[in-house]
Amino acid sequence: MSGYLGSYATLGILLVVGVVLFGAAFAGNRLLRPHRPDPGKLTTYESGVDPVGGDWAQAEIRYYVFAYLYVLFAVESVFLFPWALVFARPGFGTTTLVEMAVFVAVLLLGLLYAWRKGVLRWT
Amino acid sequence: MNPVLAADITLPHINYGAIAPILILLGMACVGVLAEAFLPRTLRYPVQVLVSLVAQVAGLATIIGLALSNYAKKPTLTAGDALAVDGPGLFLQGAVLVLGIVATLLIAERSVERGGAFVAQAAVTAGSEADAEQARRQPSQTEIFPLSLFALGGMMLFVSANDLLTMFVALEVFSLPLYLMCALARRRRLLSQEAAVKYFLLGAFSSAFFVYGIAMLYGFAGSVKFHDIAVAAISSGKSDLLMFIGLAMLAIGLLFKAAAVPFHVWTPDVYQGAPTPVTALMASCTKVAAFGGILRIFYVAFLDSRWDWRPVIGVIAVLTMVIGAILAVTQTDIKRLLAYSSIANAGYVLTGVLAMQKDGISSSLFYLVTYGFTVLAAFGLVTLVRDQDGEATHLSRWAGLGRKAPVLAGVFTFLMLSFAGIPLTSGFTGKFAVFSAALGGGQTTLVIFGVLSSVLLAFPYLRVVVLMYLQEPAADAPTVAVPGALTSAALAIGAIVTLLLGVWPSVLLDVANSAAQFVG
Amino acid sequence: MTVLLVATLAVPALGALAAALLPDRTGRVVGTVAAALAFLASVALAFGREPGGTGAIRPWHQLDVPWAPALDLRFHLGVDGISWPLVVLTTLLTLLCCGYTVWRVPVPGVDRPGVDPGGPAEEARPDDRGRYLVALLLAIEVGILGVFESLDLVLFFVFFEIVLLPMYAVIAVWGGPRRRAAATKFVLYTLFGSVLLLAGVFVVVAGAGTADLVTLTQRGGAGLGHGTQVVAFALLALAFAVKSPLWPLHTWLPDAHTEAPTVGSVILAGVLLKMGTYGLLRVAVGTVPGGARTLAPLLGVLATAAILIGALVCLRQTELKRLIAYSSVGHMGFVLLGIATLSATGFQAALVGNIAHGLLTGLLFFLAGALKDRAHTGELDRLGGLREVAPGLAGLLAFAAIGSLGLPGLAGFWGELFTVYAAVRHGGPLWMVLAVLAAVGGALAAAYFLRLLRRVTHGPAVNAVVGLRPTALAGAELVAWSPLVLLALAVGLAPSLVLALTAAPVHALVTAVTP
Repeated sequence: MSGYLGSYATLGILLVVGVVLFGAAFAGNRLLRPHRPDPGKLTTYESGVDPVGGDWAQAEIRYYVFAYLYVLFAVESVFLFPWALVFARPGFGTTTLVEMAVFVAVLLLGLLYAWRKGVLRWT
Repeated sequence: MNPVLAADITLPHINYGAIAPILILLGMACVGVLAEAFLPRTLRYPVQVLVSLVAQVAGLATIIGLALSNYAKKPTLTAGDALAVDGPGLFLQGAVLVLGIVATLLIAERSVERGGAFVAQAAVTAGSEADAEQARRQPSQTEIFPLSLFALGGMMLFVSANDLLTMFVALEVFSLPLYLMCALARRRRLLSQEAAVKYFLLGAFSSAFFVYGIAMLYGFAGSVKFHDIAVAAISSGKSDLLMFIGLAMLAIGLLFKAAAVPFHVWTPDVYQGAPTPVTALMASCTKVAAFGGILRIFYVAFLDSRWDWRPVIGVIAVLTMVIGAILAVTQTDIKRLLAYSSIANAGYVLTGVLAMQKDGISSSLFYLVTYGFTVLAAFGLVTLVRDQDGEATHLSRWAGLGRKAPVLAGVFTFLMLSFAGIPLTSGFTGKFAVFSAALGGGQTTLVIFGVLSSVLLAFPYLRVVVLMYLQEPAADAPTVAVPGALTSAALAIGAIVTLLLGVWPSVLLDVANSAAQFVG
Repeated sequence: MTVLLVATLAVPALGALAAALLPDRTGRVVGTVAAALAFLASVALAFGREPGGTGAIRPWHQLDVPWAPALDLRFHLGVDGISWPLVVLTTLLTLLCCGYTVWRVPVPGVDRPGVDPGGPAEEARPDDRGRYLVALLLAIEVGILGVFESLDLVLFFVFFEIVLLPMYAVIAVWGGPRRRAAATKFVLYTLFGSVLLLAGVFVVVAGAGTADLVTLTQRGGAGLGHGTQVVAFALLALAFAVKSPLWPLHTWLPDAHTEAPTVGSVILAGVLLKMGTYGLLRVAVGTVPGGARTLAPLLGVLATAAILIGALVCLRQTELKRLIAYSSVGHMGFVLLGIATLSATGFQAALVGNIAHGLLTGLLFFLAGALKDRAHTGELDRLGGLREVAPGLAGLLAFAAIGSLGLPGLAGFWGELFTVYAAVRHGGPLWMVLAVLAAVGGALAAAYFLRLLRRVTHGPAVNAVVGLRPTALAGAELVAWSPLVLLALAVGLAPSLVLALTAAPVHALVTAVTP
């Protein structure tokens, strides 16, 4: 395991072990489990109730759009907390404030764009 | 208030002057978004074109100013060492912008296809009545301009990023707009959407690899800064294994963007499906950015461990050159042909990169620019050959173009000769530069494969030339659109630079040489 | 005088541009004027010569400017006694071909879907593309002159490549019925050769650290390991063997020569092949003599094989241009054998052989073209009795054929005589055998050329020849051919014309490459 190609050998062994482990798990599973095929088992699982209708349904795109907007602003607030802790300290001051204002302004720009494009209207 | 939480935070000093080009691009992109939101529809196009070009020209001027004011000689780190303003960084930023300006000219063209090359409403179901209607009548949407500005800004950030996190953020900043832009072709909507989805999904996977690599390297070095990783590689007592796994993951993410085999499978489909001006942007600017990142990571963070990973990347370079060239021979679609040739060209740049010495950097930088200009002009010409379904990209449709449009065929022939590496074109000087650098760096095997594959690659190009001149055009042969002022300018710039750098390479090589020193 | 050196390249280049841009007839005339100026410039190079330096190559005039310092590329041109005769031959043949094209433009071949290429449906369609032919000829001239004049390895390669595509276009557009296949074959072989050349150049430059031919020749391979030298010489020699061509890499040549238009064949045989032999002498032998010494016997054997095989194939040929093409293989075999002896006599023989072959085979192709234009066939079976119908044409053909077979007193003789002599002088059983075989090959050349003359000029006039029109030679033809006839006579009667020029540089070269 030493020498020029030693680390490659380690990597190779790791890969081999990974493949073997994967194969062993599935093979063991295959050997131990009972095997009784049934068409019912291939249907969609819906809490034990027989599924109704097709499984190809269109989802309303607006859910996603709203979810995106929410996640965006929720994640950005993560940056606001540490900033809130330090911006009043000596050495930070106005620069910090302006920089955060720019940051929030860019976010607002996105919101503004979404509003102008009619994304915020539900109907 | 928990004093421990805030204790470690210090205000990083930001040298706004040094990163002004990036700020200009991203700021102007925001202006573009505002214009998109508030201007009436008819005004948007001229304003967006203006904003886009002004932003890039201003950014370029700032970069030249920075380069002249000795930032290249006295490189500097800023923003808490997250960004490096050094010779290669400035050169690559400049290259991205110069190529970006030419690509923007292609993107802004509206006279070749009525209303421009982009769709009016991307969300309309492909193939529906409304889709056919908008393809005929409505002018392109103009979001493409701020999107391209964001992409270019992200690329500039990417090539100057000096730690892995910044690099990842930049990667996403330039990737996401590109995914969107791929989906915006006016014609062949399904192909375009397929391209976008494919690019997005595979791109997301490659990003995941990249992030995983960052995690590994952080575990190894305890830092994401390139300098710290380089130090840790020499002195750390930890197992190198962590570092090599991390490097492998990073390399996968980067080589994906650079379209190296075996991470290239997206390239032909995306290049074919995306609107041709966007393909031109991807083939030139994205390639510059991706190799900018590769150069910086290899030369700054992993220079001292090069003896261990160079053989692996060397194998990838050989595969890229050979497989790209072989598959290019079999193509029947001009855009796919150019896609495979761009894969093979990625291999040539990698050859230069792997020289792992100063002229490796300068020759790679030089090659990226020469290739960028040539490929921009080539894709620009592809937009001109049209029939009633839009661009006629099947090779058989190009038969006899030499008779119908001698000027176009002449320019295209010249570009093909440059791709084939015939002397007195930039293709020759570029290949000569990277191969000499690689020989100097002891990479003889790579050069042998490079020379062999470049001959192989000459055949598909020459086949196109033969097709254009020596075959009779079919009865329903496509027409050649008269290029508008913008496309003409882009084509002229691309062809002239290809000739200039072929005859007088020193112009750019000297600049690249003086820029080829990374700040560590 | 440096101006003249640049002029030999710049004038044809500008002429090519002008010819392509001007209207047809004007373009052709302007192109011819440019070719004439280039010829004058190349002749004038011989005046005021002052052997520069004391190195292995002492150029009369040279120009050495940096081209791309970052890549260590230099634009280093120069001309000396070895290259000057070839330079003048090139400018002369190009001038004659351009002038010939002013008089008669070959009809470009036409491809139509569904029409058998070369079939009767392919009617002559005169058009205005003659100026492009002149432009391409001039572009080829720039490349060939560049090859002969460059004193930098990379520059040499650059010019070597420039020739490829215009020549391809000349064959592919103005060629005969099977031009497409011939042109493709030409490109395939030549591209293959270019790769090997580039690889060889890389090996030499990377090993020696310089691309300057003067320095490299002066060093005589010092600083390069023997293994490297052998590899480099093998690569370079293979590349030049494709171009020369050396058996068994010659198969592109008969097709290309047969299908090319008359002027294309003349340039191909007259000067293009010389790029290979010149490159072998100046680049391969000059820069890696160690490798040359190791591989010279192999080269000699192959060259002798080329002489014999070329001659034997010629004995069975039934087509005029094909026969002349195969005779080139044999003649170039003599030249290569001369170089393979690695002696001053051998080099001199090779250089004289080059010039003689350029003059006589150029003339032969002109005559064959004229004959085919008149009789509409090149099949030996369908020709015959030319002497009765067109005595002028028949006489010239006889002159060229006899000169080419090596009759003493004509140009072809000296190259072959000296080659055999050099091989004998080299000594050793192998070289003695090679000398004898080469001499036999020379005798066979006499056999097939006399067979050619018997079939074409003698005997009763057959149909194709009886209908020959016009029987007299046109003025333009006389103007184009007479310089070749006169020079062939001059070189034959006074070979010292060439030998005196080449003696000093060949001596310097031999001194440098001998350990």
